[in-house]
Formats: sequence, structure tokens, C-alpha cells
Amino acid sequence: MKFIQTTSIAAFIAGTILPAPAANVVPPDHAERMTKGLELFRTDVAGILKEHCLKCHGGEKTKGDFDLATREGLLLGGAEGPALKPFAAAESMMLKMMRHEEEPHMPEKKPKLPDAVIAKVAAWIDLGAPYDAPLVVGKVVRDKSVVTEEDRKWWAFVPLTKPVPPSGGHPVDAFLKAKAAEKKLSLSPEADRRTLIRRAALDLTGLPPEPEAVEAFLADKSPDAWEKVVDALLASPRYGERWARHWLDVARFAESSGFEHDYDRPHAFHYRDFVIRAANADMPFDQFAKWQIAGDEFAPGNAEAMMATGFLGAGVFPTQITANEVERTRYDALDDMLATTGSAFLGLTVGCARCHDHKFDPIPAKDYYQMLTTFTKTVRSNVDLVVDADSGAKQKAAHDAKVAELKASLAAYEKTLRPKMDAWIASGGDLPTTAVQTAVLESITSQGGAKFTDLKDGSWLAGGANPKDDVYTLVTTTSARQITGIKLEALTHESMRGKGPGRASNGNFALSRISVTATPLKGGVAREVKLSGAEATHQQNKDSLSVASSLDAERKSGWAVDFGGIGKDQAAVFSFAEPLDVEGGVRIAVKLEFYVNDAHCIGRPRLGIFAGGPPALKTPALPAAIVALQPKLRAKAALSPAESDALFAWWRERDAEWRQFGAKLDALAKAEPKNTTPVMVCVEGYKPIVMHSQGAPFLEKTHILKRGDPNQKQGEASQAFLQVLSRESGIERWKWTPPSDAKSTGQRRTFANWLTDVEKGGGTLMARVTANRIWQQHFGRGIVATPNDFGKTGALPTHPELLDWMAGELIRSGWKMKSLHRIVLTSAAYRQSSAADAAKAAADPENTLFMRRVPRRMEGEAVRDSALAVAGILDPTMFGAGTLDENSKRRSVYFRVKRSQLLNSMVVFDAPEPLSSQGSRPTTTVAPQALLLMNSPQVRDWSLAFARRLLKERTFSGEDFSPLISRAYAIALSREPRPAELAAANAFIRNGLPAGQDKAVADFCQALISTNEFAYLN
Amino acid sequence: MITRRQMFQRAGAGFGWVAVQSMLARAGFAAPGLNPLAPRAGHFPAKAKSVIWLFMNGGPSQVDTWDYKPELEKRDGQPMPGFDPKTGFFPDAVGGLMKSPFKFEQHGQTGSWGSSLFPKLAKQVDKMAFIHSCFTDSNNHSPALFMMNTGTTRMGHPSVGAWVTYGLGSESEDLPSFIVMSDPKNRGLPKGNASNWTAGFLPGVYQGTWLKPQGEPIANLKRPADLTEKRQREQLDFLATLNREQMAGSAAENELAARINSFELAYRMQTAAPEAFDVNREPEHIRKQYGIDLPHCAHMALQCLTARRLVERGVRFVQIYSGGMENQQSWDGHADIVGNHTGFAAEVDQPFAALLADLEQRGLLKDTLVVCAGEFGRLPISQKGAKPGRDHNPHAFTAWLAGAGIKPGVHHGATDDVGFKAVVDRVSVHDFHATLLHLLGIDHEKLTFRYSGLDQRLTGVEPTHIVKSILA
Repeated sequence: MKFIQTTSIAAFIAGTILPAPAANVVPPDHAERMTKGLELFRTDVAGILKEHCLKCHGGEKTKGDFDLATREGLLLGGAEGPALKPFAAAESMMLKMMRHEEEPHMPEKKPKLPDAVIAKVAAWIDLGAPYDAPLVVGKVVRDKSVVTEEDRKWWAFVPLTKPVPPSGGHPVDAFLKAKAAEKKLSLSPEADRRTLIRRAALDLTGLPPEPEAVEAFLADKSPDAWEKVVDALLASPRYGERWARHWLDVARFAESSGFEHDYDRPHAFHYRDFVIRAANADMPFDQFAKWQIAGDEFAPGNAEAMMATGFLGAGVFPTQITANEVERTRYDALDDMLATTGSAFLGLTVGCARCHDHKFDPIPAKDYYQMLTTFTKTVRSNVDLVVDADSGAKQKAAHDAKVAELKASLAAYEKTLRPKMDAWIASGGDLPTTAVQTAVLESITSQGGAKFTDLKDGSWLAGGANPKDDVYTLVTTTSARQITGIKLEALTHESMRGKGPGRASNGNFALSRISVTATPLKGGVAREVKLSGAEATHQQNKDSLSVASSLDAERKSGWAVDFGGIGKDQAAVFSFAEPLDVEGGVRIAVKLEFYVNDAHCIGRPRLGIFAGGPPALKTPALPAAIVALQPKLRAKAALSPAESDALFAWWRERDAEWRQFGAKLDALAKAEPKNTTPVMVCVEGYKPIVMHSQGAPFLEKTHILKRGDPNQKQGEASQAFLQVLSRESGIERWKWTPPSDAKSTGQRRTFANWLTDVEKGGGTLMARVTANRIWQQHFGRGIVATPNDFGKTGALPTHPELLDWMAGELIRSGWKMKSLHRIVLTSAAYRQSSAADAAKAAADPENTLFMRRVPRRMEGEAVRDSALAVAGILDPTMFGAGTLDENSKRRSVYFRVKRSQLLNSMVVFDAPEPLSSQGSRPTTTVAPQALLLMNSPQVRDWSLAFARRLLKERTFSGEDFSPLISRAYAIALSREPRPAELAAANAFIRNGLPAGQDKAVADFCQALISTNEFAYLN
Repeated sequence: MITRRQMFQRAGAGFGWVAVQSMLARAGFAAPGLNPLAPRAGHFPAKAKSVIWLFMNGGPSQVDTWDYKPELEKRDGQPMPGFDPKTGFFPDAVGGLMKSPFKFEQHGQTGSWGSSLFPKLAKQVDKMAFIHSCFTDSNNHSPALFMMNTGTTRMGHPSVGAWVTYGLGSESEDLPSFIVMSDPKNRGLPKGNASNWTAGFLPGVYQGTWLKPQGEPIANLKRPADLTEKRQREQLDFLATLNREQMAGSAAENELAARINSFELAYRMQTAAPEAFDVNREPEHIRKQYGIDLPHCAHMALQCLTARRLVERGVRFVQIYSGGMENQQSWDGHADIVGNHTGFAAEVDQPFAALLADLEQRGLLKDTLVVCAGEFGRLPISQKGAKPGRDHNPHAFTAWLAGAGIKPGVHHGATDDVGFKAVVDRVSVHDFHATLLHLLGIDHEKLTFRYSGLDQRLTGVEPTHIVKSILA
């Protein structure tokens, strides 16, 4: 074994089983031994341990979770279990390692200790391994499952302080200046107005300002000119599109499942739209949090609130799960929800406590599992929601009017048809000589317990139980003579997977065997009718899954319809070897056996009987009632009104014009505007989205797991929250009990109440984390540089008072994000120039004091959106399903995020993998970015469009392209070209003229949008 | 189309990069300055400069390839006592023990057993070291693929190639450091798709570059059709003029200079990369040696030959997947083990044999580590069906390695009598990874990256051992 320093998910997956702590057998002379042992400890062993072991195990490091600074720690052992057994040196792992009998050899990567030294340690262990004092002064071993007052004193966990800005002026500047004064640094001068409006526009909307907006700002001499610019940008719908993208990184948002098949989640984009709308509407952040966790419980019936829960479901989930993996994958899914929630709202790596008490932060594993119960029954579902009630109702009314109109014309037309039928009767009323009579079933039964519903068209829909194997029996009686075969239809229905026609998880069925028995109604024995042949509309293959294979007794072969037949009505005809001709009627029982594959039963059977002609798939169907009218028609006897109506219902279908009416009505029915839209939510109580799993979509209970291993359950967990953030015990303060008819448990709302509670729950930390995210996006680095980790492994705040003041402002404003943006953007710190200042850079190389601005490259989304905007071809359409087409002209936030097909143009500019919450993106500069700008067809298209825009907007004479170039600089860089730039650009365009003016200008445009200045937020 | 992050030499970095630099320093590597791909020395001298990983996607059967089990012949058809039907994927199709349908013989000076599936590769056995006692944590493809590629069954951790590039940077100026080739016959990507070569939580520059099997292998290497070479050169010169004009006095000068540089590099790459991928530059006899003229293996021949050209040019990590996604489209021989394995073995036999021989004849084998393994093995019992197959087996599979730092002819570890479970000198996936890293000069315990509050590691937390017996 080896002591290790780090941890990962793999440990508990492997199902490591730790040896049970050995029973302590205390020898009778233990007191005497301990006294001797203590002496040995003082004289030798303490020194040995300090010299050779302590550095890695309790001193500078605690490798393998093993801390021998105290005797308690020594006995507790490490990640691999107890290090030694008192009074039993020979059985002690620690000694075996020192003796190089077991790996890793200790001290690690150093020579073996002299035998005499090892012997002393062995003797000491045999004497009970006593300590006189900890090896590190004052060290005590503590039980990390209990959170102490000391733990609560960590800066991020204490209640918000109420700092007062240390001087007058803008509070942000006051806090920053006070700190910078220690280093004798002061704020840089204000940037010029062109730079400022460009900075704010790119920052708040991800698009450069229109040249006209720049000019207006330059001309505006009013004292609040800047405030007006900021307010206008915050009011722009483009703001939500830009800032939603930041949150979508945090929410690890994507629209596919990942893993094996990476199935699409076609209804997941509503979550993205929710985030955009919430940002634009300045939804209070506490509500924003609550809805994402429990929108269904906070605002039942509100579609936006339901969409918000897409947050919980945005993570990856396997598409194929074996029986062995069912529990583990479910705990993984729960972990994904909790870990993301923890990172996003609390800036805590809660997921670390899955295997053991958090190493660094006061998050016991027990807290983790108690919080995990919040999501026990939470699963992804696609739910039909009324997304836009008003427009839905209008569309529905218009549609209904059309249907009514068509039905009226049809009724009028039918009146003209009735005399034609009478004429047909008078002329002899011949019915088709051969036809399939749709059987009226006396009964339909399932051995496996399926229940059938009469769909009134001769077909019956199976519901309820869908066991592994089943046998249906369909019984009908008929007076028909010369019965030559039967027809078995397997019809589709919306209720089945892929519409069926089978009940299997892929919509298929597989009919092992069909058999028919006939019993004369007049009396007589039942006999089996021999079937001689079969034909089907579609069969899965020509051997073991063919329709012919349903005739034999082999259970594992039979008619199936996958590979082209799913989602379509299917039928098969089975011929009788001899016609069945029984006077006085016959009862026919058709037995359908399903053994080929699990739950592969037909979902909506319809039976037909062939009489008077050979069985064939194409033979038209004739209802039994019409067949019964045959004698009357032949005799030209008068029909009763009911008989006449029944005949007409069949007869009218022979009329081409009538059929056209029918087709139009069908088309209209299909086009019926649905008032509802399917939306992927992640809540409780709806039909879960099911994967290829050999188990249930969720577990009924959440257990506390030892080392995160579902095979090592330690009792059921009940809901509770992080002790260290709770300033009241129990959960009663936050508890929400749902109404009796609710679909959910109330646990998510209860959790969200705690999360957003600024008095006694997680609210203060959430405010700090959220204020920091705003600062981070405006300055490139947060006041806490690790926006997703406010714990002990994260960075400390550079300006804790400023952060607390901002968090307080956020809460005081009613959690309004825009108000915090306004505060930040109106500071002098935000408006500093980014001119190089060597002295400042030397004094504060990482700019932790924020006394200067450093330009930084924008995200791929902003670069691309800006290029589309300056080319004049940005499609401003908001919301709705996204696309994977790189040629799309919509903003990048509307690209569909498919985990297996992340778009090159985004990824190459450091867009993160949407796998877990990402608080910040790294910025790299690599050649593929340059290749994209040089060679991608899209960038070339944008450049050509930009050139056409310039040629349209500006006139010029001869070969002086200066008006064009000036306009291009105004649009793309918000400034005038310098003389040198103007000259170079003119020369460059002129050189390209032989290829055509458009192209020469496009070459210039492409260079312009490739410049550093275009891509950098200055 | 899946075009992934590509990484090339001489890059730059800006915001967020400082943190990565400090992590690299903590992980025991020289600070790379502004260039995330600058080549860096490992923790100790490396045996291998490059790795070519032949990934037998779908999980080949150990008992039908390199792990000879005479006992299976004796007990053919008998039930396996105590077998848990949930071991494989299809609990309802558990058959009896099934002897290998392929003939086993001893090969080479080392007398290594190998089945008739690999007649040409068998002639190279004296270059290979075998680990017969590999085992993994999942009986399902994509978790097992993630385990083999990223050290955990969960999605989203960095792949081995990404970890290696993070640690060591790139030796090539003009080519990505980590290149992946998948099945070019429209049979799909390995399950889990690009997550098998992801950078995970490492910076995106360390992501594997997936070569598109059809068309241009790397996105945007080709100039727009309406731009001449001369005009593009003029354009880049003009761009550099504009950038220099803008840069004066900026506080991000270094970063901006790196960006100017990246355009020059991109320009050079437009010629260097296609040259590397163009196997037509190879002489006829070499092409034929790989089997490029044989329809049944031309695609693997092309990929193996490309791999050799890439490592020759300093590419550090190349992965080639044999087989595509769904059952019979890969080594996943559930139905008809004979047909499935015969087909896929024929695709790789000659190209793999040629790769080993060619690397050796060029003196590249001493610096190049060739690895061949799947994500798990297969059961010694049959999977019932019209034609017998074998189901997944996480408990045992065989890997072979050859080249840099490998002691040839070694057989490490063993499975039980029927090849069901690894029992002697078991090798976990983490052990396997640690051994690979060791050969590249990296201490697997030091290769860390701080993420989500923890120093993450490819080899996780369990006790991990380097497989020393296979080291030269």
C-alpha cells in the first residue's frame, strides 16, 4: 500500500474495502509495558519519528491522510486504515513498510533505516506505542465530522461585516485607494471617452458600440453622460445574452447527455433562454437561485420557473447503464447536482466531501449526504408547458375556425352524396367480392397482465403491465364462410416509445408464434387451424426475425419490425392451409406469443378476417356490419335509417372528392397549434427521461456512503444543510411542506430557503460569491481570484471589506445585479486607462491592487459576435432552439452545445468543456486561433460582408480608399485611423485591386478583425 | 464534424495562465513562461520521447488473442461455477465456458503464445512485453473507455495525452503534441466520443487534436479559395503592421506580441502540417509494407504510417482507435466472436507488424513507446446467440507494449485457469498509467493540477505501482 496525497473520484468507485480496525487485545501487563514504552518514546522513538516520518505525516504534509503527530492520529491511521496495532509490532503495517516487507517502502524514496532503529520502533509498538506529548506542539486530533466555532471563523463563513468606505468619493474607489496607499500606488488616469464606451459596450453587451453611439457620447457634455451610457447598455437586450453566457459556464450548461451516445436534449435550450430573460429583467438573484433549484415548488404553474430547473439537469448522464452501475451512476448524478449548486452559489467544493470529510473545509461527509437528500427524487423530465399563453390561444382560435368552416362544407357536400348512394343501391349495390372484415372482438386478454382499451376502430391499446414474456388471446365470432386467413395489424400509438408499434423500449415487438383455433358456434370441438403462409408489410430480417418465423414453435424467433419499421403501422396476413367453412358461425381464437425478446409485445393489435378470396396485404378492409348488409342490398330491401347511416359511413370513402375533404381535415388536425411546448425540467413527480438502463431512473432513498461507495451504505440520510453556514440547528426554519396534491417532496424548496437566507443560512456567502463574479467579469480577476472556491484551498480576498460592502449592497438592493454593475462601472477604478505603467507593473505585477487596467482577450463568443456585428450581418433573433451550424449569423450564445461536437470556433478560444461548473476561463493564445481568422470560411464571409457594407455606406474617388478605411475603423475599433494606419491600409487595398475591389477591401476587413485591438477588451 | 482544440507550438497565454504556471511549478516542472506548450524536462530522464497507443476499441478477448488457456479446451461447454451473470452486459445470455475458436502457437525466440488472429504481428513478439493481468472498474464501454483514457470512469477528467502535454509541453513547432485518429470507415467514434481525448479541467490547449478521417484532417489549414498565397502573405504583413501600431504603450505587451507571433506560426503550419499527413511521400515499398494497397487493412495502414511520420516530427502522443462505436462495429464481439475478431484482426495485423518493424529499422523504436490495449477483456464463457460471442469482462485483459524502455519478451502477471480474472501480479489501470508516465520521465504522484479544491492526479488515490518487470 501507499500513502497518497491527493484524492479523486476513482477511489471509491473501485470499491476499496478497508480492513476493519483490529480488536484491541490489551495484554494483562499493559500498564507496565506502557511505562517502559513511554521511556523508550522519550529517549529514542520520538526522535526517530520526528526525523524520518513527521515531515510527510503530520508536519509539513499529511500524506495519505496519516498524521502521526499525536497518538490518536497514529492509531486512527490513514486512508488505508490503521497504521499499527498496539502491542503487536509484527502485525503493524507501518513496521512492515519500514522493514521493506510491504510497499511502499518507508521512509519513501530514502534508504531503509538501520535495523537497530527499526527494532526500537518495533519494541515501542510492542510496548503499546505510548506518547508523552504530541510531536508537534499543541496539535490535537480532531473529529472532522463536527464543525467547531473555530471553523466558523473562516472569513467566507462569518456574517457579513458592515464596512464603511474609508473615505469620501465613490465607495469602490475609497476601498481600493486605502489598500493601494500601503504600497504608495494610486489610480491611473481616466481613459478617453472612445475607450470607455467601447470598454463598457463590450463588457456589458459583448458587442462594440455603434459609431453613432460613440459620437453621441463624445458630444454629450452633461455631467451624467457616463451614467446614461451605462444605463443604456444595461437596458439593452444584448446585455442578457452576454451575461447569461458567463452564468452558463458556471452552470456547466449543455444540451446533450454526454457519455456513450451523447443523446441530444432537444428541449434543454429553454434553460438558456430563462437565464437570458432573467438577466435582462434583472430578476433578483435570490429568486434566480431559488427558481433554478425549485422553480416548480416556488412558482407552481409558472413556465419560466419550471425552465429554470434545467440548471439541475444540465450535467452529463450516461446513456447506457448496466445493472452493476445503476446505483453508482445515480449517486454520480446527485453529486453533479449538489457539487454544481455548491460551486455556483456558495463557491464551495462540496463534492470533495463525497468520499470523506472535506480535507480542508469544514464540510463533513455527513453534511454532504444530508444535503444530497435534497435531490433524491429529482430527475430530468420533458414536460409540456404553456410557454406563451396569449399567442397560443389566438392561434388555437384561428385554427378552430378553419376546421369548423371545412366541416360545414363537408356536411353540405355529403348531402349531395346521399342520393348517389341510393342510386348505387338501386343499381345493385355490389360490395367488393373479397375483403378483410375487421373483427369485432369478444375478448382480448393478456397472461402477463396487460390491460386493453377499445379504441373503437377495431384496435385495442395495451397498457399497464409489460412483462418480459406475454401471451395475448384475441377472440371473435363470425358468420363468414370460406375464411381463407387472418390479418394481424400492429398499429402505432403516441403512448408507445417511438410510437411503437411494439411496447419494447425501442418501439419494436417480436411475435414468437401465432396460432388460431376455431370452434363451431352450433357446437362441436375446437380445432387448431393450420397456417400455411405469411406475408408482412415489413420484417426485421429474412430469418430469425421474419414473419415466417412466427409460424413455427421456436420461441426465440419471430416477426419483428426494427430497422425501418418503427413508428409506422405494420400488418401481416396469415393464410389458412384449408379454407374454414362452418355453417352457423364460428368462434375464432387467435393466440399471440411473445418470447423472443424482453417486453417485445404488440401494443395496439387489430384483427381482420379474410372471406371469399385469397388473403393479401392489399385487400381493402370491410367492416363486419357492412358485410352483414349484403343480403339486404342484394334483395334491394329497404334499409333502416341506422343501417343506411352505417352504409353511408363506409360508402362515402369510395368518393374521391369526399376523400379529399378527409385528407384536408387530417392535415388540419396534424397542424393544430399546440398551446404547449415541451421543456426539459429537472424536478420531481413527472415522467423521467429514460436511458438504456438496467435499473430505475432514481433510488427511493439516499444513504450515507462510506468512501462514496454505494456498496458500503451506512444508514439512510435525512435532510440537513452545511453546519458551518447554519446559524440555527435543525431545518425547521427553512422547512417547506408542499400541499397534499403536490408532485414533489418540498425538499428542494427547503434547501433553497436555507441557501438564500442571509440571516441564518447560506445567503451571506451566496452574496459574496455573486458580488465577486460581477467584479471578476469587469476586472478580469475576482476580489477572490478563485470564483468557485471560497474555501481554504481558494485564494483569499484581496479586498475583503470591499467584497463585503458589495455583497451588502447586493442584498440591500433586493439582489439586483444591474445595480451592482452600475456601482462598479461608475467607479474611477473601472474607468482607468490601460496605458502601460512600468513602475506600477513592477510594484504590483499581478495587479492585485487594481490600480491599473490590463487589456485582456475577449471570449470566442464576443470576438465572433463582434465580427458579425461590424460586418452588419448579425441576426438579432433571440431565444429558441440553437444550431450547430457555424454559418449561423445569430449570437454565439444560441449555438447548440452538444458535448461531443463542441464548435471549433468556440473551443479554440478557450470555451470550457461543459462538464462541471467553471468559474473562469483561462486565456491562451495559440496558432489555431490565428488559422481560424486567416482561413475559416466564416471569417472570410464576414470580411466580404463587411467590405460590402463599407462600399455601400461610403463613397470614395479614384484609388483613395480613406473614407472607407475611416468608416471601417469607426465601426470596428470605435476610433479614427492614425495617419500611418491610413497609409498602410490604402496601399494594402490598392495592391489587391487586380482581384476585384470587393475582395481587396475584404482582405483589409479580415486583417482589421484579426487585429489584437479588435479582440482585446482594453 | 467534430473539430477539437488543437495545440501547436509557440503559443501565448494571458489571463488565468499565471495560475496554471504555478501549478506546473508545484508539479515539478520548469515554469514555461508565456508559452503553455514550451517543451519542458520531466522529473527524471525519459526513456520514451513519444507514445503510439493502439486502442483496441470495444475490448478484444484476451483468451482469443495473447492469453492462451489450455484449460478452456478441457472444460469447453461446461458451466462456470459461481459465475455472477451481472459480470457482463447481457445477464440473460450466459453460456458455458467456451474454448478459443482460434489456434494458438508459440512464436519467436521468446516462445510467446499467440492465436492465429495475428500471423504477421506474431513475428514481432520478441519486441513486445505482455501484461496479462490488467483489470478495470467497469463492465460498460464508455465508463471503461474513460477509465483507460482518463483514469476514472466518470466523464470529464483529462486524458493521458493531455496530462502528458500539460507536463512536458510539445517538442514540435508545427504540429499538435497530442493527435488522435479514429475509425475512418464510418463506423463511428469510440463510445464517449471526444471525452476520450479531452483536456478535462486542464487548460484547453492540452486537448487531443482529432484528425478528421475524411477531408482536411485539421480545420482551417487551407487558405480561402479566393485568396492567393502572395495576397495572404501581404495580408499578414499588413496585419503585423497594424498590430505593431496598436501595441505601442499597451499594458499587455508580451501577450500581444505572442499573438502577433501566433499568426506567423499559423502561416508556417499551413505547409508543415499537410506535409506530415501526406503518406504519399513515402516510398512504395514502405507503403506496401504497411498494407496500404490491401483493401481490408488500407485504412489502418494509412493511420499507422501517419503515426510514424508524426512521431518522427516530434509529436509526443498519438492514439489510433481500431473499430468504431456500436457492437459489431468494433472489437465488441457479443454475437459471433469468430467473425468479429477475424475481421478486426485482419484490419490491424499487417499495419501493426509493419509499424513495429518500420520504427525499428529507422531507429525510432528506442524512443517510441508502442502500447496496445482495449478498455476491458471478454469473458471465457460464451454469450448465447445464433453464433456464439463473448460478453464484457472487466476482471482481465491483456495489454502489450514495445519500444522505448520496454524489456522485450516479458510476460507480466497471469489470469486464472480459464482467463476470467487477473490473479497474479494484478495491474490496475492506474498502475498502467503510472508505468506509461514513468517511461516518459514523469513521476505520476507529482503530476498534479489543482482543481475543485484538490490536487488532481491521473492515477487517483489508490495505491499505485509501476510495473517494473516490463521495464528494460
